[in-house]
Amino acid sequence: MSRLSPTHITLLILCFFLVISPAHAVPPIQEKQMENGLRILLMEAHAVPMVSMQLIMPAGSRFDAANKAGTATLLASMLTDHTAKHHHEAWATLLDSEAIRLGAGADRDGMNLSMTVLKEALPTGIKAFSESLLNPGWDKKRFKLIKENAISSAQKDQEEPGIRASEASGKLLFQSKIGLHPYGHRPAGSLATLKNIQLADLKKLYQTQNRPQGSVLAVSGDITMPELLALFEPAIKTWKGSPSIKLFEINSAGHVQGKTVEIEMPTSQTLSQLIRLGPARKDADFFPAFVLNQMLGGGGFGSRLMEEVREKRGLVYGVYSYFIPLAAPGPFIITLQTRANQAEDAEEVVRTVMQSLFEGNITRKQLKEVKANLTGSFAQRMDSNRERIGLMAMIGFYRMPLDYLQVWTEKVESVTLADIKVAATTYMNPEQWNLVRVGPQLSKKGKTAP
Amino acid sequence: MHLFQLLIAGLLAMFLSVSGANAADLKQAEFRNGVKLIVEEDHSAPVAMVQVWLKVGGRDELPGKTGLAHVFEHMMFKGSKQLAPGEYSKQISAMGGSDNAFTSHDYTAYFETVPASKVNKVLQMEAERFANLKLRDKDFQKEIKVIMEERRMRTEDDPNSHMFEELSAAALRLHPYRNPVIGWMQDLKRLTIEDVRAFYKKHYVPGSVTVVVVGDVDFKEVKQTVKRTFGRMKVRAVPERFNPTEPAPFGPKRIDVSLPAQLPLFAVTLPVPVWNPGSNDREAAAIAMATQLLAGGRSAKMTHELVDNKRVAFSAAAGYDPFGMGLDLWYAYGALGPEQTPEKFETAFWKMMQKMGKVPPLEKELAAAKRQMIASEVFARDSLYLRAKHIGILETVGIGAKHQDEWLTAIRNVTAADVQNVFREWIRFDRSTTGLLLPEQTPEQTPKQAPEQAPKPTPEKKS
Repeated sequence: MSRLSPTHITLLILCFFLVISPAHAVPPIQEKQMENGLRILLMEAHAVPMVSMQLIMPAGSRFDAANKAGTATLLASMLTDHTAKHHHEAWATLLDSEAIRLGAGADRDGMNLSMTVLKEALPTGIKAFSESLLNPGWDKKRFKLIKENAISSAQKDQEEPGIRASEASGKLLFQSKIGLHPYGHRPAGSLATLKNIQLADLKKLYQTQNRPQGSVLAVSGDITMPELLALFEPAIKTWKGSPSIKLFEINSAGHVQGKTVEIEMPTSQTLSQLIRLGPARKDADFFPAFVLNQMLGGGGFGSRLMEEVREKRGLVYGVYSYFIPLAAPGPFIITLQTRANQAEDAEEVVRTVMQSLFEGNITRKQLKEVKANLTGSFAQRMDSNRERIGLMAMIGFYRMPLDYLQVWTEKVESVTLADIKVAATTYMNPEQWNLVRVGPQLSKKGKTAP
Repeated sequence: MHLFQLLIAGLLAMFLSVSGANAADLKQAEFRNGVKLIVEEDHSAPVAMVQVWLKVGGRDELPGKTGLAHVFEHMMFKGSKQLAPGEYSKQISAMGGSDNAFTSHDYTAYFETVPASKVNKVLQMEAERFANLKLRDKDFQKEIKVIMEERRMRTEDDPNSHMFEELSAAALRLHPYRNPVIGWMQDLKRLTIEDVRAFYKKHYVPGSVTVVVVGDVDFKEVKQTVKRTFGRMKVRAVPERFNPTEPAPFGPKRIDVSLPAQLPLFAVTLPVPVWNPGSNDREAAAIAMATQLLAGGRSAKMTHELVDNKRVAFSAAAGYDPFGMGLDLWYAYGALGPEQTPEKFETAFWKMMQKMGKVPPLEKELAAAKRQMIASEVFARDSLYLRAKHIGILETVGIGAKHQDEWLTAIRNVTAADVQNVFREWIRFDRSTTGLLLPEQTPEQTPKQAPEQAPKPTPEKKS
C-alpha cells in the first residue's frame, strides 16, 4: 500500500503530460516534416533494444457530437481491434506473436495511437501501426460488441465517486445557454450518450479529423531518423489531407463561479472537488500559473494543501490540485476525499489556503523552493521512453518550439515573485471557484450545518 | 500481496512482466551487521532510484494488530532526531527528487528518485531516520486518521475492492494473505503508539535491510556510503518471518457480498505455489504461462471465450504473482453487464478451465505467450523504478536477486503439457473460493436505468 493510491499515481502521470521540466543535458529532438504534413519527432535512446511511439491527431473527444460523447474513444478502440486486412482474431494473433503492444485512446483535444515494440520486431510493428491507422475494418459485429462493453463499463464507472464528480464538474464548468462546450464531457462518454453512437459517427470522425496535417508522431528508443523514415514513409504515404477543424479553432467557455452541485452516493466519504477554468496551453501566464499550482497542491507532500489538510489536520489521505492545459482554457481542479461529516471542514481549509495565496502571502524563499523542486526533477521526468513520447507528442501537437525542453528550466526560473502573485490574483480568488460534492446525505447535512 | 493490488497490477501488466538485468550485472555487498546492498549501474541518464527494503510486512502482524506494518511505514515520515515531521520529503523535494513508500504482506520499502549526485545524501538521510525515529503520540494520532481515510477511500467506498478483501479472508485459514495490508478498521481504531514503538524495536533491525540502487552511480562509492551509514548500526536479532503452511482446500467455498454497487462482479480465487528456484521452476512458470494464456495480450483466452464468444461478461481477466512467500492467491474475475448473470459466467468459466485441462495449448499460442513474457522483461528495463523493485522483491521474499535470470529460463522451458497440468492440479473448482459482489438497491438507481442490475443472490451451494 503506497502512500499514493493508484488514482493519484494516475494523476501524477497526467501531470507529466500537462507540465514538463527539463534540465541541462536534454537529448535533442530531431524533426522531420513529411510531404503529407505529418511531423515526426524523434529522441534517440539506445540503452534498451525497444522503440515506443505515439501518434497524436486532432480528433479528441471535443469533436464528439454533444449527444454522442464517447465517439472518439470508441473510434480509438475500433482502430486497434481489427483492420480491413485482418479480422479481430487474426489481428490479435499477429500482434501477440511479435509481442507488439498497440494501444489507442482519446483525451479532449487529441486522439492517440501508440505502440511499444522490441527493436527486432520494429518492421512488423510499423506495418501493423500504419495498417490500424489507414485500413480500418469497420466490422459491424465488433462495433456492436465494443459499444455494448463500453456501455456496461460506463455503468460500472458510476460506482466511482471520482468519475461522478468529473462528469458533474464538466457540466458545471462548460454548460451555457448555447449548449455544452466541447470540453464539457468525459472522453469515455456516459451511459446516456454511448447508446446514441453509430458506426457512421465513427467513420465521419475518422474521415474529417484523423488527417496528417496537424498530427504529430513522437518516437523514442533504439532507432535513428533514417531507419525510422525508411520504414515509416512507405507505410503511410497514402495518408493525406487536413482536418476539418484545426486544433486551435475552438472558443473559450464562459466563466462560471460560485455554483455548487451535489451528487448523492451511499459512500462513507464525501469527495469534494473545487473547480474553475485554468490557463490554456499557450496562455502567456502558463508558467506562473504552473509554478503557483505546484505550490498550491501540485507538488504532493511539499504543497500547501497537503501540508494544511493532511499533515496538520489528518483530514484526508490525499489532496491535489492540477489544471489541464488544452487548446482553450480547460478545468483547474482541487480534489479531496474525507469522512462525510468532515467535508465542510476540509473545504474550508482549502479556501483558506487559496485566500492566503490570493492575498499574496508568498515569500521569495518559498518561490525559490518550488522552482528548485521543479527544475531539479526534470531529468527523472524524462527517464523512460514512455515519458519521452508523451512529452514530445504534447510539444509537437500544441506547436511549441522544439527547444521547449531545453528552455523550460529557464522559463520556470524566470517566474518572479510579482508574476506568481499576479497569477494568484487571477486564479486563487475563492469566490471564483465552484464546488462539486459526491457523497452521502448531502443536502440533509447542509441544512443542519451551522 | 493484497488481492486488490493484484487486481490493479494485473489490469496494468498482467503481473507477469519480469523486469531486471542479467544477474551478472548486479553488484552486491553484505555488511557485518547483516545489511545488504545491491547495485545496478546504468549511466544512460543522470538519475538514480534508491530503495530501502525491509523484511517486514502485513504477514508479521500479531492478531488484533492488522495494518500495523503499513501504519509504521507512514510514521517513517513523521520525524527523526535530525528531521521534523514532513521534513524528510521536503528535503528530497528540494533536491529535485520525489519519495514515497509501499507496504505489502511480504515487505515494506521506501524509495527516492533523485539526481544521481544526491544518492549519498539520500542514503545518509534514510539511515538517520531508520535509526532515530521519534514516534510521537501526537503525530500518530493524526496519522492514524489519515490511514482510516485511506482505508475508506480504497476499500470501504469501493465495492469491488471491498469484495476482494472479503474473498481473501474467506479463501484462507492460516496464511496471512487473509488479512488486508491496510488492516481491518476495527484493528486500526485500537492501535496505539505503544504498538508502533514495539513494532519498530522488533522489526527495524539492520539484518532485515536490503538497500537497492539502480542508476547513474558508482558501486564502490555507494558501498562506502552504505558502509558508513546502515553498515554502522548495531547488530540485533532478526525476527523469524511468519509463514505458516496453509492446509489444502477440502472443497469449494462461496461468499456473497451485498454492497451499494451498479453491477455484479464475479471472482474466483485459489491458493497456488509461488516460485521456489531450483525446486519448482517448471510448476511456477507453468502457472504463469497458463495465466498469460488466459489473460495476457490481445488474444487472451478469457476475453476471447467469455467476453467475445459467450458474452457472459464485459471484461474478464486473471492474475498470478510468482514472487510471494508461501503461496499466491491466484484469481480470476468477470465484470458483468446488466444483461449478464453470475450463473452463466460461472458455468462458462469452469467449463473453460476444464477444457484447458483436457486440451493442451497450441504450440504457436505457447510461443506467442513466451515472446510476450520475454518482451515484458525488456520493456520493464525502461523504468528504473520497476528494475529496482523487482530486485527488492526477489531479495526480500527469500527468492534471491541472484536467481533473477532463472525465471526466464523456466518460462522458456514450459511445455504445453505443463500448462495443461496446471488446470488438472491447481486451477480447479474444488479448490476454489468464489466471491460475488451483489449490488444493493440504492434510492438513486431507477429500474429504468438498469432493468436487471440486482440479480438474485446465488444460493450457497457448498461451503
